[in-house]
Formats: sequence, structure tokens, C-alpha cells
Amino acid sequence: MTAALEVNGVLVDDEFAEAFPMKGTRLVITAHNADWARHAAVAATGFATSVIACGCEAAIERELPAEQTPDGRPGVSVLIFSMSGKELAKQVERRVGQCVLTCPTTAIFAGLDEGEAIALGKNLRFFGDGWQVSKVIDGRRYWRVPVMDGEFVAQETTAVIKGVGGGNLLLIARDVPSALGAAEAAVAAMRQVPNVIMPFPGGVVRSGSKVGSKYPALSASTNDAFCPSLMGLSPRSQLQPGQDCVMEIVIDGLSEADVAAAMRAGLQAATARGTGSGLLRISAGNYGGKLGPFHFHLHKLLETAQ
Amino acid sequence: MSWTLTLKQPPALRLDLRALLPQALAGRSVAAVETLSLWQGRQSLPLAEFFKVECGDGPEDLLVLEGELARCDRIGWQLAAGRIEVRGSVGDLVGTGMSGGEILVDGNAGLLAGCEMQGGRLTVLGDVGDFAAAPLPGNMEGVRGGVLLVHGRAGARLADRMRRGLVLVHGDAGDFAASRLVAGTVAVGGTAGLHPGFHMRRGTLLCAGGGVAPTPSFVPTRHEVGVIWQLLARSLAGYGGAFAGLPGRRVRRLAGDVATGGRGEILLPD
Repeated sequence: MTAALEVNGVLVDDEFAEAFPMKGTRLVITAHNADWARHAAVAATGFATSVIACGCEAAIERELPAEQTPDGRPGVSVLIFSMSGKELAKQVERRVGQCVLTCPTTAIFAGLDEGEAIALGKNLRFFGDGWQVSKVIDGRRYWRVPVMDGEFVAQETTAVIKGVGGGNLLLIARDVPSALGAAEAAVAAMRQVPNVIMPFPGGVVRSGSKVGSKYPALSASTNDAFCPSLMGLSPRSQLQPGQDCVMEIVIDGLSEADVAAAMRAGLQAATARGTGSGLLRISAGNYGGKLGPFHFHLHKLLETAQ
Repeated sequence: MSWTLTLKQPPALRLDLRALLPQALAGRSVAAVETLSLWQGRQSLPLAEFFKVECGDGPEDLLVLEGELARCDRIGWQLAAGRIEVRGSVGDLVGTGMSGGEILVDGNAGLLAGCEMQGGRLTVLGDVGDFAAAPLPGNMEGVRGGVLLVHGRAGARLADRMRRGLVLVHGDAGDFAASRLVAGTVAVGGTAGLHPGFHMRRGTLLCAGGGVAPTPSFVPTRHEVGVIWQLLARSLAGYGGAFAGLPGRRVRRLAGDVATGGRGEILLPD
């Protein structure tokens, strides 16, 4: 391992984030106003932080002004990722059925054109109990399901493409406020990058995990190498004295380049704050490079940023 | 290598041009094209008796027909690919059963234009007669795909038994427009005649040019249909004319035909 780079006094480890292929789709939710679109999107992407137990990773990608949506109403685009197309289809159907169909005034559309099709309104239409009708417009089929505020319009299918999940940054700081500040600044910058989501609460995860556990039933357990409480106790600890809080940002994107762009934006935003902010070091999580085919080297990301 | 066939004079009897497709002419010599058989009544006659044949430098899949072709039927019969341009009016059954390609008629079309289309695009710059986009007589299914675009007016029974696709008429439509419609979209820029949507099952009849005659077997539904309306209106706006301003207009909706338990709709922009 070569030496860490120093940017504004912040050490950037010669490490890489190891990411995995996932299946992903974009959905566009529109509603009478932005508030109701957001309500639906928040509900549909709830409990979707990690595929470890949620079935998918999902979050709001961005809010869309009325002129950028298919029906001319305010909207929200969300990205949903799963480990397989089959699981993704299941998650999309459940989440749209329970959280978007139910939300007043909403409609839902596919946010990607190219890719393998999975059901969006195709099965939800049966909620219409025979009163549903379809409309084909410009080659796309929409289902119109009668509901109590009018009709719920859902595009029949959405496209699934191969995405990348598990890009990450580890922000190592002096204390909790410093780590939170750095993480919040990084997430704010990364949210400006299209085609990516940070699926954890507020975009930040404090319970970074490693693969496996001493308990055979668990597939993941705490990342003891970066737990400040285990400094001097765990033989795997990678923290130095004074590095008393670590926050992680996990990134899922529609392509390798998108994840790289988001990580770069996050690196720049965090390091721009300098050591005066309490941020001391940035690292990344990997499994030795043997598990995931996508490797995002922090130093290379910094080089391409210049 | 494109083909231009010019009708020497209007035929005394109706002439069946179903054999003239760009694919059928591809790779042939002028002499071979001139000997193609055309049916006129019970007689099969060589093409050269009716047409002057020219071979040009245009795209290989282009066939141009010129002359007074109003007595020439079945132009573009079951066209699957290529383009046919007609400089003038045509007879009956133009574009029948076409599944792809494009036909442009720079004039009027007779009866049964675009009937039983499955794909492709048929554009008529003038008027079309009765039963445009309908089934062939006796058949149960009409148009199943494609686009019929009429810049003039349409006759009666427009889009009878249509199941899928788009029929768009810039002018008025005759009586019984969208009769027995199974699904699909019928958009009329002007007004429709009597009994619009008669016995329609599903699908949409849009009359952009104002009110239609009251019909007791359709019920007004006053719910919010803004989403599907915007999707449809924005799609149709690209065709210009009376459709250009649709996205900015509000719409009334009539559902029916309840006489047959139908779940179709007539959309009437204000």
C-alpha cells in the first residue's frame, strides 16, 4: 500500500471501494403537487436501506419540475436496486401497490426506456376489479384504475438495467459532530449527481458492516475495523488515536461511471472542508477485491477530479 | 432504384393494383415490371397496358404512382415494408391489411381506406370515404395497429370494430364514428356526425372540434382525468391543426356505450 494522499490536510487512504452488480430501475411518480409526489416517493422508498434485509435499496433520486414529467405535474424520480431482476420486480410491485397506488392523486411512469421490462401497472391493474382500462399512447401502454379520487394511471412496465451497488466512502473524524458535518456536506454534493442514490437514512450509515459474523446465522456484522470503541481491542482495527467517529456513505448507481462521479463529488465536498472541520481521514470499504467486480480507487478518483 | 408508374388514362373498369408493392418490384427489370399481371374484372392484363414504367435513382423501396387513379383499388394491399406515394386520388381499399411501411396519398381515398391495418402509416391528404379503418365486409376485427392519418374529412363508420392503433382525422367525421370500437384511439379534429361511439366497448373517441350530438347511452363522468388527458393530448399535439392546442384545453368525458356494457370514452375538449 502506498502512502495516503493529503488534501487540505485530510488524509485520503490508498484504498478502494468494492462494488457489485445490481439490477436497477427508475420510477417517476407525479401528483397534484410536489408534496403529494414526495409523500408517495418517501413511502415507496421506505425500509429500503440495504438488500441485506430489505429486499432492495431505494431512495429519491431528485425532484422533477412539472415540465420534466410525462403528465405535466410535479414529480419525483426514485431509483430502486435489487440483487436480481426477479426480486426487483417483486419489490416494485409491492411498493408501488402499497405506497403509490394508495397515495392521493399520484400516477407512476417508467423512468428508463431501454432494458428488460418488468411489471409496473401490469398486475396492479387488477385492483380495478374489472373496471380498469388501458390506453396505448405512442407505443406505451398505461393502465387506468378507478380509485376514489379519480383514476390511478400507471405505465404497464418499467425497464430494468444492470446497475452498480455498494460504492462507499468512510469519513473518519475527530468526533460525532465533525463526522456528521462532513457526511452531510458530502451527501449534499452527491445528490447533485444524476443516476445515483444514497439509500441509508439521510444518505449516511453509522453501522458499516463486514461480510460474515461469528454467528453462523448472520451474513453481515459490524465493521470492527472502523469502530472507535474497538480501537486497541480488535486486531483488525484501522483507526488511529484521535479518530473517534466514522460515518459511511453508500452509493448505488445506474452505471459504474455514475457511482464514480458521485464518489468523486463526495470526496471533493468533504476534503474541501479541511481538517479544521474535524474531518481527519477518508477511506473506503472493500473485501480485498475478490468479491466485487467494480473497484473505485480513491486516489484515482481524486486524480480525475483535477 | 425507385419506381414511378404513370397511369396512361383512367381505366374503363376498376383496376386491382394489389400486385404493386415495392418489395414485389425490387430487383426486376423495366421489362419484367411491364409484364406483371394486373386484374381488371375477370381479366388478367399486363401492367404496360395501363402504366408507363420508369425506373429512377430514388430509394429502392419507393414506389410512386401518378395519374387519375380513382378507379384503382387495393393500392398497398398488405404492405409490409417500403413506401408508396400516390400523386392523386385513389380508389377503394387503399392500405388494406398493411402491417408496415408507409403510404402517402396526395388526394382523396375511396371506401374502406386502411381497413384491417396492423401496422405502418397511411396518410391521406384529402378525404376518405365510408368505413375507413374498418374490417373488410363480413369480418369481425378491424384495425389492429398502425396509424391512419386523414387531413380532410372521413365518411361514416370510421374505425368500426377497431381494436388497436390510432386513427386521426383533421376534418369532420361522418355518422357512427368509432362504432363498435374495441380499443384504440380515434381522434377527430372537427365534429363527429350522429351516434358517435355507437356500441363501443373500450377505447377513446376524441372530438376536438366541439360538441357531438347528445347520445343517451353515454354517461358523463366528472372525475379528474388530467393525467391520461395530458399523455394523450401531448401525443396528439404533434399532429398539428386542431390538435396542436389540446394540452392547454380542459376536457369533458362521456363513458359508454352503456347500451352494450362498454367502458369506452368520448373526450370533448372545452
